[in-house]
Amino acid sequence: MTSAGTSPWTGPGGAGTPAGPAVPRAAARLPLRRPEQGRWFAGVATGLAAHLGLGVGLVRVAFALLAPFGGVGVALYAFLWLTVPAGDPAVAAVDERPGPLVRLARRQPVRDVPVRRWPVTDIAIGLALVLGALALVAGRNGALDLRWVAPVLLVVVGFVLAWSQLDAAQRDRLRARAGGRTPVPVLRLVGGLVVAGVGVLLLVGQYTGRGIDAGTLLQSVVASLAVLAGVGLALAPWWLRLVRELGDERAARARESERADIAAHLHDSVLQTLALIRARADDPAEVARMARAQERELREWLYDDRPAPGTSVTAAMRAIVAEVEDSRSGPSGDPVAIDTVAVGDRVPDADTEALLQATREALVNAVVHGRPPVSLYLEVGPDAVEVFVRDHGDGFDVDAIGPDRFGVRESIMGRVQRRGGTASVTCRPGRGTEVHLRVPTRPAAPDAAAGGPAAGGER
Amino acid sequence: MSQGTTSGTSGPGADVVDVVLVDDHHLFRTGVRASLDDGVRVVGEADSVETAIQAVHALRPPVVLLDVHLPGGDGGGGAEVIRACADLQGTTRFLALSVSDASEDVVAVIRAGARGYVTKAIDGAALSDAVRRVAGGDAVFSPRLAGFVLDAFGAAAGDVATGDDELDRLSAREREVMRLIARGYTYREVAGELFISVKTVETHVSAVLRKLQLSNRNELTRWAAARRLL
Repeated sequence: MTSAGTSPWTGPGGAGTPAGPAVPRAAARLPLRRPEQGRWFAGVATGLAAHLGLGVGLVRVAFALLAPFGGVGVALYAFLWLTVPAGDPAVAAVDERPGPLVRLARRQPVRDVPVRRWPVTDIAIGLALVLGALALVAGRNGALDLRWVAPVLLVVVGFVLAWSQLDAAQRDRLRARAGGRTPVPVLRLVGGLVVAGVGVLLLVGQYTGRGIDAGTLLQSVVASLAVLAGVGLALAPWWLRLVRELGDERAARARESERADIAAHLHDSVLQTLALIRARADDPAEVARMARAQERELREWLYDDRPAPGTSVTAAMRAIVAEVEDSRSGPSGDPVAIDTVAVGDRVPDADTEALLQATREALVNAVVHGRPPVSLYLEVGPDAVEVFVRDHGDGFDVDAIGPDRFGVRESIMGRVQRRGGTASVTCRPGRGTEVHLRVPTRPAAPDAAAGGPAAGGER
Repeated sequence: MSQGTTSGTSGPGADVVDVVLVDDHHLFRTGVRASLDDGVRVVGEADSVETAIQAVHALRPPVVLLDVHLPGGDGGGGAEVIRACADLQGTTRFLALSVSDASEDVVAVIRAGARGYVTKAIDGAALSDAVRRVAGGDAVFSPRLAGFVLDAFGAAAGDVATGDDELDRLSAREREVMRLIARGYTYREVAGELFISVKTVETHVSAVLRKLQLSNRNELTRWAAARRLL
């Protein structure tokens, strides 16, 4: 969606103008919403203007002109206020578009227009008080029959209660997503029905004469309930079908959006890698490396929960493995795949950071000087994090390494030992070399330790 | 190594293991067939749940190499094939073969009754070995499956089974074996490391497989429930 023009939705060209020739669907109307930005009162005129593609001024003038004719403008405004949900029309339009289009052509963010909010509640209360005072005065003077006021008020309040949930539905949905389901809509509906019903009964009573006696009241209530129940039964299948269709549609939309995610990803990375591989077909080492990198990425994308950065030792380890696989080659120049197995997870701290850096050095050592297959095992236990890096090379003798050789002694063993951990290298002829690193974890952060496995345990 | 390995390499004779290869990708089936050594013979192929069930019942091979994700049937993939072939229990064993690392895939086929789980990245010699091992009644654990077992049963050393009949926890020895396999050790190397025989290692691995299939541990049942296996 473009947001050109002075107002975010109703620029000189109208909001209905297509975003670009490439996306024909964008030419469709914006959905009817009451935007927060650029509103004078409840956003009805702004939203309607955006929906119809007219100038917002024109719509406002139309409302004002219609107002004197029996309050048509006011009634229309109030009706739209109640029925049209609040929200950003452009955002709603994006939500309604099919997933693939959203993925492939991202929407430009709407410019920040200061949100103007009317203190609607305060104004409503003030209006109600003024009206009440006027009614009282009128009643005193005999211009208004006060007996009619209370029932009418009840009916109005009931309707407002019941109708107000249209607007509240969105808020409630947000609330329900954040926490449990709130019974507020039901309360609203039932309360509104009861209040309005009582009002109607009183009104009918006024109309028929000297109030209603209990017997008639009971009879009429039972009769109306029976009629309502009959109608409800007759309409139930239709309503059920509606609910079911809504559910189906939601599920279909979720599926479509997931498929779009995958399609976009395939388009972005896999196809590009395949094209690269075809172009570099004469270089087997490079092709193997690209295939491996793509496989790793796709695998992570398909099977992992993708924890937030900085919350998972396992994810950090995988990143290191990826970096080593991509940047280092074996003794013969071939890329080496590192077989990684990780058990448990936790939030990284300075200790695990040192361990990861030492692991990286060990992996580089195994890939460059050892012999494949190279395997890495990471185990995050309750009191220690352990790493095993294994290759099938002939290994090296740690004690034979001179103190001047900075590599293994300092970058692997020293790093871990400074953190209170242990490091050992085992070489057995014919069985390869294994570097074992172990760093005790601090019990000081029970929250972090508890949060880690929950976040990454399902890996 | 089990006896199958040594006798299987002696040439095409009575010791050749027949397998049925089930995978929906023709290219992959061709690749696997080419990579298997002389001790393993592919007697049939199938590319969907229905054809797999049919082929396994018709050929009754000792081992079925089974892809986890298969089209057809009720959408249950490899696990559905295993369940449909439950009447062949004891004569036909299943070795799951998959590109997926997802734990629910692993749990699905193992709990359905597969005797092992290897990833498709496995090379031909190792796969042939795995087939012979499964034919001999043993379980085959890849490092990744061992890691998954440790994850599911808890890697904490304190949580140790005391009796053999305890299904929800690993014994200390089983945990050690699993850790070594996760570190990339072969069964023979595990045996050397722990100073036990290869046969004992196989016993431990089979015990772990049994726990994996029968345990009601939370993590396992949660995954299984998500796949409607229970």
